[in-house]
Amino acid sequence: MKISTKGRYALEALTYMASLEKDTPVNIREIADQTGIPLKYLEQIFFRLRKSGILVAKRGPSGGFLLNPALPQITVGDVVRAVETDIKPVVCLKSREHCESGIYDTCVTRLLWKRISDAVESVLDGVTLQSLGDAYKEKKS
Amino acid sequence: MKISTKGRYGLRAMIDLAIHSNGEFVSLGSIARRQNISLNYLEHAFSALKKAGFVTGMSGSGGGYMLAEDPASITVQMILYVLEGDLSVVDRIPLKAETPLQALLRQQLWEPINANVKEVIAMTTLKDMAEEYKKMNKL
Repeated sequence: MKISTKGRYALEALTYMASLEKDTPVNIREIADQTGIPLKYLEQIFFRLRKSGILVAKRGPSGGFLLNPALPQITVGDVVRAVETDIKPVVCLKSREHCESGIYDTCVTRLLWKRISDAVESVLDGVTLQSLGDAYKEKKS
Repeated sequence: MKISTKGRYGLRAMIDLAIHSNGEFVSLGSIARRQNISLNYLEHAFSALKKAGFVTGMSGSGGGYMLAEDPASITVQMILYVLEGDLSVVDRIPLKAETPLQALLRQQLWEPINANVKEVIAMTTLKDMAEEYKKMNKL
């Protein structure tokens, strides 16, 4: 039931970015310096975030990364799903084929795991990066 | 973000025990058969549950386990705490070492998530689970 360091770092970096001017690309070194995230680790995370379309890269001397301007409502859930392999607490929530006990239709614990999973994901999907960025900007000022 | 087999199978076995015990010892073998779970997993889970005082065990023929407490007073939270440990969604960072960004995420995300999960598992008792099980399995 854990969100890994990768997920946490991704959210720290993107919250920092969301607290800045929107249209200015941010250098990844600056993000690493400001958040304390190791640069090498951040590069791996940003690779995934770019692949999933959450970040876009701008080339050139004043280049860097931008939160994808085409996606104004990126949620924490989008970010966590992009970097974590799997956020379901049990595999049988994915599909019937994942049930190891052959009791899918009469399994009460699966319903409990679903309620737990929904309890987690309702928060993840209800918070946007923008709201985190705004809260961080306010906190700093 | 995973509940281990110990937690998954252990909880199912506790529900089975709540339904089939009726004041008598139930063998792990019979729980394993009914639930289609390997006995090895159950032994592991039940030694922890016994140590925590939720079940009492008796060895020998006619032995097995029974609940040590009323199923209405055992919550899913208590059982999962024994089987899985702390279910919080992130490992805790010591407050002193926490950056302002990390503090913000804790307040806006991790604490609300943990509170949400806790609400589900602290409000659900073993009795609730057993009744739901009976309904779904038409017992």
